[in-house]
Amino acid sequence: MRFTLLLASLLLTSATSAQGAATLRLGYFPNLTHAAALVGVGRGTFQKALGSTRLDVRTFSSGTTLSEAFAAGQLDIAYIGPGPAISAASRGMPVQFLAGAANAGAVLVARKDSGIKLARDLNGKTVAVPSLGNTQDISLRHLLSASNLKTKENGGGVTIVSVPPADIVAAFAGKRADAALVPEPWGAALEAQGNPVIGDEKTVWRGGNYPSALVIVNTKFAQANPGVVSAFVKVHNDATGFLNKSPAAAQAAVNAELEKLTGSKLDPRVLQRAWSRTHFTAALDINALKEYAALNVEAGYARTIPDFSALIRP
Amino acid sequence: MTALPQDTDLHRSPALPPRWLMLGWQLLGLLLILAVWYVATDVLKLYPAYVFPSPRAVWTEISYGLWGSGPQDGKLLASIAGSLRRVVTGYLAAVVLGGFIGLLMGLWLPLRATLGSYLTGVQSVPSIAFVPFAILFLGLNERAVLFVVILESFIPVALAVSGALLNVPPTLRVAGRTLGASGLGLMLRVLLPAALPNVLSGLRTAWSFAWRALVGGELLISGSKSLGEQLEVGRNTANVALVLATILIIGLIGGCFDGLLRLIESRIRRDYGLEVAQ
Repeated sequence: MRFTLLLASLLLTSATSAQGAATLRLGYFPNLTHAAALVGVGRGTFQKALGSTRLDVRTFSSGTTLSEAFAAGQLDIAYIGPGPAISAASRGMPVQFLAGAANAGAVLVARKDSGIKLARDLNGKTVAVPSLGNTQDISLRHLLSASNLKTKENGGGVTIVSVPPADIVAAFAGKRADAALVPEPWGAALEAQGNPVIGDEKTVWRGGNYPSALVIVNTKFAQANPGVVSAFVKVHNDATGFLNKSPAAAQAAVNAELEKLTGSKLDPRVLQRAWSRTHFTAALDINALKEYAALNVEAGYARTIPDFSALIRP
Repeated sequence: MTALPQDTDLHRSPALPPRWLMLGWQLLGLLLILAVWYVATDVLKLYPAYVFPSPRAVWTEISYGLWGSGPQDGKLLASIAGSLRRVVTGYLAAVVLGGFIGLLMGLWLPLRATLGSYLTGVQSVPSIAFVPFAILFLGLNERAVLFVVILESFIPVALAVSGALLNVPPTLRVAGRTLGASGLGLMLRVLLPAALPNVLSGLRTAWSFAWRALVGGELLISGSKSLGEQLEVGRNTANVALVLATILIIGLIGGCFDGLLRLIESRIRRDYGLEVAQ
């Protein structure tokens, strides 16, 4: 009798909280392209909109580790680059794309004493990317083939190495890399140390009109908790609007959050420059994503292009 | 005078199964593992394919690596060759270095007392822990990988050589001296040959250490044709089948070389009369 009462009250409470899930596990990186997440978490707007659903945040340093956590079922919603997102989708992970987060926001920087002035000077040089198969690696391979250059494994002269963005300063100092295609704010930070930007965000690909971060959701979570997901998307859209409308306040908020997560604050001028090369948008550019998936195949990191009509959550 | 037992009687005990029977059992075991794997993935679908891929998916990755035509395909043999070249270079350097240091340690007590115990300590540190240090000193390149491989594998060689020299029966030493050997001659013609069987087991341990250290180093230092790089690419592109395929290949190569060294070792031990032939 008591048990049935308990059960009934449990059922009632779960039915009354319109949000559904008890926790929403959110993953993102302390990167500029994930600024909407930084701002939404930092200002508490995600938690406010989610109500009784507790927001559980986890930060990652690369799409690889985030994608692994996602595959293991430890994340419900995440900010991630299109590379790992498309890879995850084409491997059959239960993933859907909710919204865009940022476009562009990656630059090609040459080491100051390397003598590299143009992309075609990269022949015989070593170029660093955050990790093999990630968004920057794939755009670098495309950039190289557009400049008629080939990588070493394909009989050309360019060596691509993976170096975590935080270690590229040290890699440049030790002359272990001659150039790097890095996401912001690392590009602006390297530039502030006198390393020239030889390919800005527009030359990297598609005139700068390409996604560099998306919001993804676990399909099963989205089906079970549509209310939570739409509340999240609304805050994400608002946060993106805030980034565009009040850049000064948003930069301060982002910097405070970066300091909390990484232990160090960015020089405001570096952040400003990085900001000017990143475009925050919640729109999903399906054509760009399709082209990206084709580049992924061109680079040899995937064999199929996933079905985008099923991937985008309406 | 009693007749000596026939050679075959001594060497072939009737209880030992013939070689083909052993091979048959091994083959059956392999088939059983494959069957369990197939049932768990393709039939029961205990895990989604992006967590635990089926044997077929893993074979597909291996076949792409062997004879695929895509931009990242057909690199498997080159990766294996690159990794083998690195490990053999590092291993040979480690054998020379470890042999030399082991010799010195075996001959000179102060060195054995100091360096010997430090080496035992260093040996207990997993090779992967040295990789960041090696990158700082040598850069993100092959030298850093070789450094880790040599560091990991020269220690078992050094310890085995010094230990084996100490374990040479004193009678052999005395006999050698009585017959006129001394100094270098005693070392090269009496002590080292007598120590050989024990040195060999050190060489085999050193091989497995070298192979493990190599894969660990290659995982962190990409940009070269290597199995570690394949593992990293598989991980980055959510391609678990490629990861599993690479793990299998790493295990297979490690096992093959270990088997080869074991064969040499047991042949030499048999020649020394330390074990009977099978």
